[in-house]
Order: sequence, then C-alpha cells, then structure tokens
Amino acid sequence: MSAAGGPGAGSIAGAGAGVLGLTGASDQIDFARLRAERRRRLFDAMAAGGVDVLVLGRPANVAYASGAQQLWTAGTRPFGPACLVVRSTGRVHLLSTWDAGVPPEIGHDELFGLSWNPAILASNLGAIAGLGDAAQVGTDGFSPGARQLLAALCPHAAVVDAAPVLSRARTPKTPDELACIVSAAGIAEAALSALVAALDPGVSERQLLGVYAEAIAGLGAPTPPTEAVVCATPRQGPVRLRRLATDRCLAPGELVVLNPGAFYAGYEGTLARTWVVGAMVPSPAQRRLAQRSRETLQAVLDACRAGTTGAELCRVWDSTGEAPPPEPFVRGVGLGAELPLIGHRVGQSAQLAAGTVLAVTAWVAVDGVGGVLEQDLVLVTDGEPARLTRYGRGPLA
Amino acid sequence: MGEVGSLIAGAPIPAAPDLVRMRRDRGEKLQHQLGAAGLDGLVLMGTSAVAYATGAVAPAVDSSHAVLDRTVAIVVSGAPAAHLFTAHPEGAPSELPTEFLHGPLYPELDEGVTTIKRALDELFEPGARLGCDELTHAMLRGLPDREFTSAAAVLGAAKLCKTPDELACIRAAQRINELAMWDVQAMLRPGLRQTDLTARFLRRVFELGATTNAIDPIWQVMPTMRAGGPWTTHGDIAFPLATGDRLLREGDVIWVDSGITYQGYASDFGRTWIVGADPAPSARQQAQFDRWAAVVEAVLERCQPGTTALELGQTAIAANEGVKPWIEHFYLAHGVGTDSAEMPLIGTDLGASFDERLILQPGMVFVLEPVIWDDGAAGYRAEDIVAITDDGWVPLSAHPYDPFVGAW
Repeated sequence: MSAAGGPGAGSIAGAGAGVLGLTGASDQIDFARLRAERRRRLFDAMAAGGVDVLVLGRPANVAYASGAQQLWTAGTRPFGPACLVVRSTGRVHLLSTWDAGVPPEIGHDELFGLSWNPAILASNLGAIAGLGDAAQVGTDGFSPGARQLLAALCPHAAVVDAAPVLSRARTPKTPDELACIVSAAGIAEAALSALVAALDPGVSERQLLGVYAEAIAGLGAPTPPTEAVVCATPRQGPVRLRRLATDRCLAPGELVVLNPGAFYAGYEGTLARTWVVGAMVPSPAQRRLAQRSRETLQAVLDACRAGTTGAELCRVWDSTGEAPPPEPFVRGVGLGAELPLIGHRVGQSAQLAAGTVLAVTAWVAVDGVGGVLEQDLVLVTDGEPARLTRYGRGPLA
Repeated sequence: MGEVGSLIAGAPIPAAPDLVRMRRDRGEKLQHQLGAAGLDGLVLMGTSAVAYATGAVAPAVDSSHAVLDRTVAIVVSGAPAAHLFTAHPEGAPSELPTEFLHGPLYPELDEGVTTIKRALDELFEPGARLGCDELTHAMLRGLPDREFTSAAAVLGAAKLCKTPDELACIRAAQRINELAMWDVQAMLRPGLRQTDLTARFLRRVFELGATTNAIDPIWQVMPTMRAGGPWTTHGDIAFPLATGDRLLREGDVIWVDSGITYQGYASDFGRTWIVGADPAPSARQQAQFDRWAAVVEAVLERCQPGTTALELGQTAIAANEGVKPWIEHFYLAHGVGTDSAEMPLIGTDLGASFDERLILQPGMVFVLEPVIWDDGAAGYRAEDIVAITDDGWVPLSAHPYDPFVGAW
C-alpha cells in the first residue's frame, strides 16, 4: 500500500516523498500522532490483558504496532514473527532488513533482518530483551513450527491468543484513523465512478477488474482489499453472487454489481452499488429489486448501534423478509478487514462497540431478473450510526 | 544460448495445460507423500497450500481479508480428492465430486471451529495423525484432542518437482506478465509516478487473462551507490522496497519485480530499466549487464539433473570473479509454483550443507536472479525462469533486456 506508516515514516522527507497529496500531505491527519496513539493503546491493552510480549505475524497487526510500510502480497502468510511488542521495555521490534518505510520511533537496534534459517531467526529474536523471561506471550497465529520456536525463546511463557488485546486496541477508531478510512472511501468512490464509466455492453468482468485496478493505482493507492469487485447477474435463469471475475461479457440491460475498495495509509474504504449495463432504463422488476436491497441495507444500517448483537442484526435482516445472504453481511473495517464478522452462520454473539467502523452489505436476487448488492460503511456510535460512504444509485435511484 | 532438452520424465510441456490432469497428478503426489510421512490427513488453510491441494481458485484478497474469508482444504489419506471448504464455489474444479465441496469454515472464530471439529470427527478416527500448515487460537481452544504436526515436509516434497502441466501454467502466467510489461516499458518516461506504472500493468494483466495479481509491483529507483540507499542490517542493498507515488526522473535506474497468477501458478518478472525517452546504459551499466549474462550463462551450463545447488552457487560466484552475485538476504535462485518463492532455494543463509543436499531433478523450476553491483552504477538485476528437464533445462520466460543489449 502506498504508506502504512504514512508521511513522516522513514525516508518520507527525502526524494521518495509523494507530491500529489495521497501519500504526501494531509491537512487533517497527523500521522505521528496516529502512530503514537496506536502504540499507547496497544501497550495499555497489553497491561489490561496481562500480556508481556506480543509476537505478531499478520501484516495488519504489524502495521498497527509499528507503522512500518510493508510490501503487499495477496492472501494469507504463514505465521512467523514479524513484529514483537515488549511491555517491560516499551519497545517494538520489527522484521525489516532496512529502515526505509520504518517510522523514526523504531531505531536501528530494534530491526531484525530477513532470514530463511530458523536457527538464525531464533538467534536474532533471542537477543530481544524481555522475551526470555516473559510469562504471557500473545500471538496472532500459530503453527507446529511456531510452537517449537516459542518454546525455545520463552520457555516459561504461556502462549495465549493476542486477539483480545489487539481487538481492545484496534476496534474503537481514533479521529485520525477515521479520517484515513474516509480518505480510503473517497478513493473507492472514485474507482466506482471509473467502473460506471466503463460499463459498455460487451466489456468483460475481467476487463472491469482491470479498470478498477488501474483507477486505484492511478490515484496512488495501488493495492486492493479484494479483487472481488465485479459480478454481472443474468436476466435469465438462476442468479448467484460470484466473487471471481470471469471473461463473461456484460449484456445490455443486465444488473452488474460493483464493489470497489481501496487503502489509504493502510486503512480500508469500501462500498458497493449495482448498475444497469448500457443506456437502458431499468425494468420495473429491477427497480423493485433495487428498492428491496436499499430497504434491507437501511434497516441493518439503522440497527448498527453500540450494544447491538450479531443475533439481533440477523433478526433485523430477517424482518425485511429477504432470504439470508450467502456471505456475512456485517464486518469490521480498519486496517483492512477486522472482526466482528456477522452473518446467519457466524458472529451471533458479537456485540457492536461505539467507535467501530462496519461494512454493511445487502444482497437480494430474483431468478430471471438479476441481483442487487449494495454496501456502505458506517460508524457505530452510542447514538445514531454515521454513514461514511457516499454515492448515488444512478439509473436505479 | 539454447536449451538442451525439453522433456520432463519423457513428456513434453504442453502448449496449454490440461488442468484436470494436472490436479489429478498433484492429488496423487500429495497422497504418495502422505503415505511416505505416515500421516492420515492434512488440514490446510494457507492460500497457496489450499490452491495446490484442491485446485480451487479464489479472488486475490488482502491478508486481513484472507484470514477471515479463508478457503480450507482437508486431505484424507486414500480419498480421491481433497475436501474444499469455500465461500467461492464458482472457483472449485469442475471435476470435484459434490461430496467434496462444502460451504466456508471460519477457523478464526470459535463457532467456526465447532464446524471444523464436526468435519474432522466425520473424516478421521480419534488419534489420527494429522498435518497442518497453520493453526488459529480458536482451533487450539476448540480441538484440544487433536494433535497436528507440520505439513511442510509433505507439501514441500509434493511441490518440489512440477509436472509438464504445472510448467505450462507457470509459462502461461509468465507470458501474461511479460506482455503487460511491454506496454509498461513503452510508456516509461520522466514525470510519471511509480504508481502510474502499476496502473498500466494491472489493467493489462487482467485484460490478458491473469487470474489474480499476487504482489504490489515493484519499481524501485536504485541509488547509484550503496551508501546512497537506506540503512540495512547487513550493509548490503535494500530491495525490494514498496512502491509509492515517487516521480520518476530522467536517467533513474529502476529494478522491476512483479508477479501475477494464472490458475494458481505464479509468474516472476524481473528486469532493470532506465527512465528516459531513449535510454542508453552507460559503459559501466552495460558492463554490469554483461556480467549478469555471463553469470546466468555459466549457471545454465550446469543446469541438469544431478547437479547440486551448491555447485550452481559456486559456478555463479566463479563467473563473478569470486564475489557472490546476489543480495545478502536473498538467493541466487528460488523456485516458483503456487508460491511466488518456494523450494528449491539456492544460496540462502540455510548454508552450504543445505545447498549440497539439494540435487537438481527434472521438473524443478528456478527463477535465476543474480544481482551485479558495481558501486556507482546502480546495479543490474533481472530474473529468468528455467525448468530442469531430463537432460538439461528449458526456459519458461522470454523477455528482452532493453535498454541493455548484447549477450543473447
């Protein structure tokens, strides 16, 4: 992503600085303050949870703890120590062979280099003060190899789930974090405009995926939350929400789902609208479908208040009369996807907290008509939820 | 320089992969390795491991999405296919029997693990010997009676030597990647931002049929001298640095590195470019390229079954006048398959004894990526892919080295 650390990180003041605003300057986000606040929250959460050391491998957690810029790769990564947060010393140690993209608060003596050799890795980590005598070590992943490594590095430690500590720190968003999410939403909305402009009959889903990728990269934000961005739905036969772009070409009058996302300084923005292909007037059946989708989305959005549970959100969905959607319809948004994940099969006991940002998604489909997917971001508060994404509905308005 | 042979265990690399045959062959290899390791099954959750075991395709997603929206594979010893648990049934292989296709599991969540437990209890006896690539804390909590060993040896052994169909997939991925790079290099001029190159590249790879993009493409502007680059833990060059919106300037030397996937297989493109309307390398820059080509040529002459990785590394060092021609934290070469970097690794800090035990066999794939650094000339780096054949090697990449000329 363009700058997980944001301006102020590492060599940003040098020749590598962006000049056009997306990674270079902001009049509303203080990235040094953002990182300092994250770090403070993380150490506070460790103290509250009695966790002495965090051993983090997931890029989003590493970004949260360190603010360092990381190379984006798609998919999961095998669990391995990429960032160690030590409560007794107050230090954050980072797997990075260089200091480029590393914020100034992390010193050279807190960097450990890339190694392919587990013995060298163990030796590098063994030098970190506060790890060997830790009693509680929290990790954000696990594997048989990690069991051996941790047993050697911190023989007296109980290895625990870092999720409660991370969730406590990460879930309620700071004003700077919210500003990043809104910036990312703006990029996603720009990508949606590019997609709408490209919706000519005959264009394929895969070509539209190319249009999307070109749009976000052209704005300086080259990495996607997901490549599941476009799904054309047929006017004949069964309708399913497909997330894998194909060479299928769009036919005039079809409904096509557009679901672009983007990252700004590591934070995600995402939204979805459904458009009619070509200069076609939507059919009455398509309009009714869009109306149902909108009402379902609105009902769930209105219910996103502090204290609401996943089970209650499912009941809200069901009260609209729509069939349960094929995917979870509410999920957390921050440094990418976060918990909660709420659907009819998962997240029943999750409880929404004030300060959480959620992506809420509604999908309704009728065989022989098409499908409509709509998605908006919402900030959960103690009162009225605040919608963070803005976009019209074009022909289906 | 030409290839010596192009048969893998007597079979040619097909022009287009037979995906059904490829998945069947992989399944058989995995089953064979399960038997050799004495395991009753595998639980796989890593993106590339699942792709390998099941042949399923899923949209590329950020790692934060990938852990919540996991595709999971459960491999049972003796079963005709791997069980696939996915939210994207449209990506399942067409030949997968319906009883092996299931809805998504959520291994991050305690309620998801309840479903996993039910699946495992149905498929395996208590006390079954199971391998895994990763575990979540929810699994540690919810599966207290199951013990898992590492699946790395089983997966690694199955993946090490590719079938001709797998090689055809890698070649197809590489072709898409290279074609897109023609367009990117054609637009290269001062005043563009790094991300402008990304925009062009991504648009083209999807138009050309890439299944996914695998890595944020790298267009790193190299310092002329090592000391002009970022501080590093080992004093060597920092590479690869993530792309930003830096403006490209006349004469900038950029190291390009990208990877997309086709049917689960990764490409790996590496070249050194010079920014300018009509860029011409300096004499020192050209000499670096000539040295790079000499190293690659010397290594390729030794590429045949039976050669050890150590011998390849020593050959490369000898061709570079005794200086190790690769970056301290990397390697002379790495494999590529469903992972963008996988075994065989040559020249890493795993050490000489590791390299000595690694013996070339037909079907192994190498991305050769020597780096020549003449301090003051911004270095030369490029990557080419070869597969080891029954009696030599065959290239899987084919892209010019412009603006550098000569050699081949």
